[in-house]
Amino acid sequence: MKILTCPLNGPRNMSEFTYGGEYHPTPDHADASAREWAEHVFFHHNTAGVVTEWWCHNASSYWFLAERNTLTDEVLRTFDCDQLYNQRIDFSAVTTPETRK
Amino acid sequence: MPFGLLKYGLSSEYPAQQHFNPAADLKKHYDVVIIGAGGHGTGIAYHLAKYHGITNVAVLEKSYLGGGNTARNTAVIRSNYLTEEGVRFYRESVKLWQNLSNEFDYNVMLENRGQLTLAHSDAAVRSFRWRAEVNQHMGVRSELVDRQQIAELVPNLRMSEESRFPIMAGLWHADGATARHDAVVWGYARGACQRGVELHQLTEVQDVEITAGRVTAVLTNRGRVGCGAVVQAVAGASSVVANMAGIKLPIHSYPLQAMVTQPYKPLLTPHVSSPHVHVYVHQTSRGEFVIGGGSDPSPLYNTRATLEQRESLSAAALELFPFLAQARLLRQWAGTTDMTPDYSPIMGLSPVENYYLDAGWGTWGFKATPICGVSMAELVATQKVPDIIAPFALERFYRFEQINEAGATAASH
Amino acid sequence: MDPSISPTQTSRRSSLYRRHSQLNAEFHSFGETIAVHHYGSDETTQAQNLGLADLSTLPRVGFKGAGALAWAEQCGVHFPQQPNWASKQPDGTLVARLSSSELLMIGDYSGHSPLIDRLAAADRPERVYPLPRADSHSWLALCGSHAPDTLAKVCAVDLRPQHFENGRIAQTSLAKINAIILRSDIGNLTNYAIFSDSSSVEYLWDSLLDAMAEHLGSPVGLQALIDNR
Ligand SMILES: Cc1cc2nc3c(=O)[nH]c(=O)nc-3n(C[C@H](O)[C@H](O)[C@H](O)COP(=O)(O)OP(=O)(O)OC[C@H]3O[C@@H](n4cnc5c(N)ncnc54)[C@H](O)[C@@H]3O)c2cc1C
Repeated sequence: MKILTCPLNGPRNMSEFTYGGEYHPTPDHADASAREWAEHVFFHHNTAGVVTEWWCHNASSYWFLAERNTLTDEVLRTFDCDQLYNQRIDFSAVTTPETRK
Repeated sequence: MPFGLLKYGLSSEYPAQQHFNPAADLKKHYDVVIIGAGGHGTGIAYHLAKYHGITNVAVLEKSYLGGGNTARNTAVIRSNYLTEEGVRFYRESVKLWQNLSNEFDYNVMLENRGQLTLAHSDAAVRSFRWRAEVNQHMGVRSELVDRQQIAELVPNLRMSEESRFPIMAGLWHADGATARHDAVVWGYARGACQRGVELHQLTEVQDVEITAGRVTAVLTNRGRVGCGAVVQAVAGASSVVANMAGIKLPIHSYPLQAMVTQPYKPLLTPHVSSPHVHVYVHQTSRGEFVIGGGSDPSPLYNTRATLEQRESLSAAALELFPFLAQARLLRQWAGTTDMTPDYSPIMGLSPVENYYLDAGWGTWGFKATPICGVSMAELVATQKVPDIIAPFALERFYRFEQINEAGATAASH
Repeated sequence: MDPSISPTQTSRRSSLYRRHSQLNAEFHSFGETIAVHHYGSDETTQAQNLGLADLSTLPRVGFKGAGALAWAEQCGVHFPQQPNWASKQPDGTLVARLSSSELLMIGDYSGHSPLIDRLAAADRPERVYPLPRADSHSWLALCGSHAPDTLAKVCAVDLRPQHFENGRIAQTSLAKINAIILRSDIGNLTNYAIFSDSSSVEYLWDSLLDAMAEHLGSPVGLQALIDNR
């Protein structure tokens, strides 16, 4: 079994984790267009090589980031997402012509 | 008998069949360059040459003919999907399969064995009822069957009510079929090459040259090749190749694994699939039991096989067919599958004017091979998107008009 | 001693209560709750070898959020510096630190925790969210000298006492389901508190008993744990 090192819980069997998708910065929520949101939600770089991606340790519901090589499956490093997200973002509902459709 | 076979094999009266003449040098320019010589790429080339008179075509393949997912898939052919768009598309493909051997005069060993999908929960029974209704409405043979009927269709399936997930009902799809996967790509490649198409193996596309919004050439390990249009049909490598043309796709590439046992006497006629326990099983005409299931848990461009998957596939297969406990595994393998968020393909136009996409085939694209050949060739030749593939445009993701086949695909392919 | 009472007398019941009744359990009240007192005789010795107790009706609660730890500190809660450790409070409540923003508070075996009552009633500032762990999670105790051997069969983390000190926590997979495993010895008795989704506790209970069989383990009542203190 492959071992992944969780920043909170230490080295654990890969089966304790769930893959959570590629990391890409969230669009500016105040004025991103529907097209930008579509791209953010559905589209991926799907790089063959080193990528930064989300993982969740299931038993602790703890989300973190990993750098992994998608050609070799080697994990280069794992780190807490506080390093990238350190402030709370509140979403207020906005109505644009696109969302009204 | 062994002697007779040897004599036959060595006799000059029965020479080994050449499927295509290896083309020598790459030309400077082709009207159409197709990237990827799987069933899809060769099928498109065949239809361009035979039905549209476009023969100045090169199919460029970085490895060998049909060595990608076409060689690795488990050959489930079916049309019992959930959405109207999906059912219409796969229904046409299943029809084309029926005549495919005659079409290119090569035996694809099509077998109409039927497909049985199992429900182990009330929710699954409800969704099967829904699928059966949509299917019947669209002229696809698909019906809900009860435990009694299941036991008659598959006498050696474990029907115990004591099992962890007892079988409650099934979706019986009489149109379900299987075929010899290699024969499909060989038949198309031979037919295309007989009409002037060039197939270049060991020719990898490494970059795409774009001038003023149009593709003008592909750059390969064997040099630059000018072209009037490009079709990419590279399955697991879809994002990597599209990226060369500056196109971003809603795709993640995941390994999908499968395995086979040694051959046994015929025991199992239909294809049996259980999305709930994550496994499907059928017996090939050679007698091997083919066992497949869900994708690996995270994306990877690598076709290694894993012990975890072997363990979970075995455990799930034994739930359904305990007699397989005695069977020995012969092979286990993987292919890289191009998974989309809605489990439907991405076909048609791209942001680059003369660059066409045949991607997002994930774990379900083998059955679509014939209809892709027909519809993508029509698109390239006429530059009009055929109605049958219009719903699968890349643009659908920007319009939030996905064609959700996740439930009807999952571990069934 | 309390006269025997029925587990259905209160609405707070363990999902396992029918299993206990089938094993002829005798239920007593402990503090504000009802739990299995004993099944058979001499469970104190059984617990020293290998026992499994269901403590799901005893009090526990969680708090999570960016402000959770600072708030708990203001309320006088002492928690460990490092995540995945637990420490005892003066009133006997155990406070487990599950991450940099989450605490789990576990009452002692009296069935009453003044700390939990106090925090549950207190005003919470923004960014502190309560987690109803007593409803969402079951609580089993696996104790005795063969508890580590039993866990080794169903868990990949090394939980043997020489590698997993008293007070340490492993959030991991146990018999293929998610669990929080906390080593909380009772006197000299090695003991692991196991918290897992209450909807799968029947499966976990059966799986653990199955794994315990080779070491002659069996269910024990709460009284056996108290008597070992
Ligand atoms: C284990 C497994 C089981 C499956 N089971 C089923 C099933 O039961 N039913 C079903 O319908 N589908 C199934 N599928 C999916 C199906 O196999 C694929 O969707 C289908 O074969 C795709 O065909 P293709 O011709 O597009 O791709 P491929 O056959 O993969 O061909 C693509 C070719 O492109 C080449 N290529 C890639 N990059 C480049 C480059 N840069 N330059 C040149 N060439 C390049 C590759 O070498 C490859 O030969 C399964 C897949 C797998 C892996």
